[in-house]
Amino acid sequence: MIWKFKSSRHQELPLSKDSSNLFLKIMISISVFLFAVTLAGVLAINSMLVNWNASILGSLTVQIVPVSNADRQKAQEEILKQEQRAVALLEAMPEAKKVTPLNDGQLQSLLRPWLGDDVDINELPMPRLIDVKLKSGAEINFKQLAEKLATVAPQASLDNHKLWLNKLINFAAGLKVLALAVLLLVIGVTSGAIFYTTQTSLGLHKDVIEILHIMGAKDTYIAQQYAGRTAWLGLIGGIIGVLIAIPIIFLIAHLAGQIEGGIIDEARLSIGSWVAIVSLPLFSSLVAMQTAYYTVKHTLERMM
Amino acid sequence: MFETKDTEPIIELEKVGIRYGRGPEVLSNIDLSLQRGSFHFLTGKSGAGKTSLLSMMYLWQKPSRGRLSIFGNNVNFANRNSLSLFRRRIGVVFQDFRLLEHVSAFDNVALPLRVSGMSEKEIRKRVNELLKWVEIDRSTSAITSTLSGGEKQRVAIARAVINRPDILLADEPTGNVDNDIATKLMKLFIELNKLGTTVVIATHNENLINEFKYPCICLKNHNLKIVSAGERKNDMEI
Ligand SMILES: Nc1ncnc2c1ncn2[C@@H]1O[C@H](COP(=O)(O)OP(=O)(O)O)[C@@H](O)[C@H]1O
Ligand SMILES: [Mg+2]
Repeated sequence: MIWKFKSSRHQELPLSKDSSNLFLKIMISISVFLFAVTLAGVLAINSMLVNWNASILGSLTVQIVPVSNADRQKAQEEILKQEQRAVALLEAMPEAKKVTPLNDGQLQSLLRPWLGDDVDINELPMPRLIDVKLKSGAEINFKQLAEKLATVAPQASLDNHKLWLNKLINFAAGLKVLALAVLLLVIGVTSGAIFYTTQTSLGLHKDVIEILHIMGAKDTYIAQQYAGRTAWLGLIGGIIGVLIAIPIIFLIAHLAGQIEGGIIDEARLSIGSWVAIVSLPLFSSLVAMQTAYYTVKHTLERMM
Repeated sequence: MFETKDTEPIIELEKVGIRYGRGPEVLSNIDLSLQRGSFHFLTGKSGAGKTSLLSMMYLWQKPSRGRLSIFGNNVNFANRNSLSLFRRRIGVVFQDFRLLEHVSAFDNVALPLRVSGMSEKEIRKRVNELLKWVEIDRSTSAITSTLSGGEKQRVAIARAVINRPDILLADEPTGNVDNDIATKLMKLFIELNKLGTTVVIATHNENLINEFKYPCICLKNHNLKIVSAGERKNDMEI
């Protein structure tokens, strides 16, 4: 029903002359600017998370390093025992699809390129490796797993890089939640401003509204005029905000790209993300319109 | 939707009182019953409560006590939506016009049709026709605040009658026009009345009251009395 602007082509309410219009336009521009930059951040973090998650999903490797024991025989027994316990633990994990401890032959063939054929590896302190294939979609809590492994096999260690990446993922996810909260806050504050300026305007145009009511206008008739006006302010403010935000996003991306390590490199914004950012003025227009519409309906029912 | 039977009064007040805020009652214990298609003058000294009574009839002022029924519906129990629908069937000429000063004469007259959702094409036809009839046709697009007092009055009357209301309430509509125009406006109200509109006209104009033999609703001392055209002369206090 809000979409039916046909009947409000005629603006009996002189809303375009409201002095709050400039305030709202600036307010919405700033809000959309903040929203766009924050949204770009969220989307960038998201694409990073997707890449990182892909690289840690699917498999993991557990290494059991030899104990430095003078008695080679005893050390070997100990490490095999730990391997068995680790395998049992890993197999009990619901996320595990297949747990394969590498046998001597496999270990040797892994090491041969580095050591050459004529080294007897039984003479060397050999680490044991366990390859774990994970079910698709499974997410592992690496920290917890590392702790559990340590209790059954003190010599076991998880693939380090993955552990580090997992911490980074947790950090990024937290950052994302924070950014989403900022987005909600921006929407809330802007809606609040629209709510109060609309209420003020209703008081200002009390006489005209009274005449409209006596002529038989329903609240929706008046609400549509406000919705139309505010949608326009939301659109204009939104366009200004996005136009300022785009070069800033490029600037931040450029600065981030100079960080070594290639982490940020995975934070590139997709086409879809850009479409979302560029269409923010439509979103701000819609939010502004809805807020004004319901403010009018809510206020009129209580005012007169 | 809200049709009344012909025998049922179109407006009915029972023991109605009106007061503003915590002030004394402007009108007390008013009983009044207007039949569909009737025509009444409303008289009384300045401050007697003519405007108050009318504003209750166009469903703006709520009675502070008693029952007001319109089109057979008790207004106390009507929701906002049905009040709007009732109001669309009531034409009002305000004492101070209450036109939208910042829009054109055309848009003012079109207003009651627009709020009820009529097509612009139909609106253009009807409004131009009526504006021609009240002789505003050369300044239809002029902003209302630039019109003369007499022109504004005619625009106000055109707005009140544009959707052929069931009830026409006019608050001193002939206040500041000369007698020729007053008579012409009266003829318009009588035409509408012949088409079935119930008319109430608040006025001070003795010439009109004497020329057109309609009964008077006289307000005096917070009370109301109906005086027919025959028994008027001696009892009049306008
Ligand atoms: N909005 C209002 N607030 C307070 N008192 C009012 C208001 N309107 C009218 N009155 C009082 O009600 C009485 C009747 O006024 P009104 O209905 O305008 O009479 P009339 O139209 O016959 O001159 C007057 O004493 C007036 O002062
Ligand atoms: Mg009056």
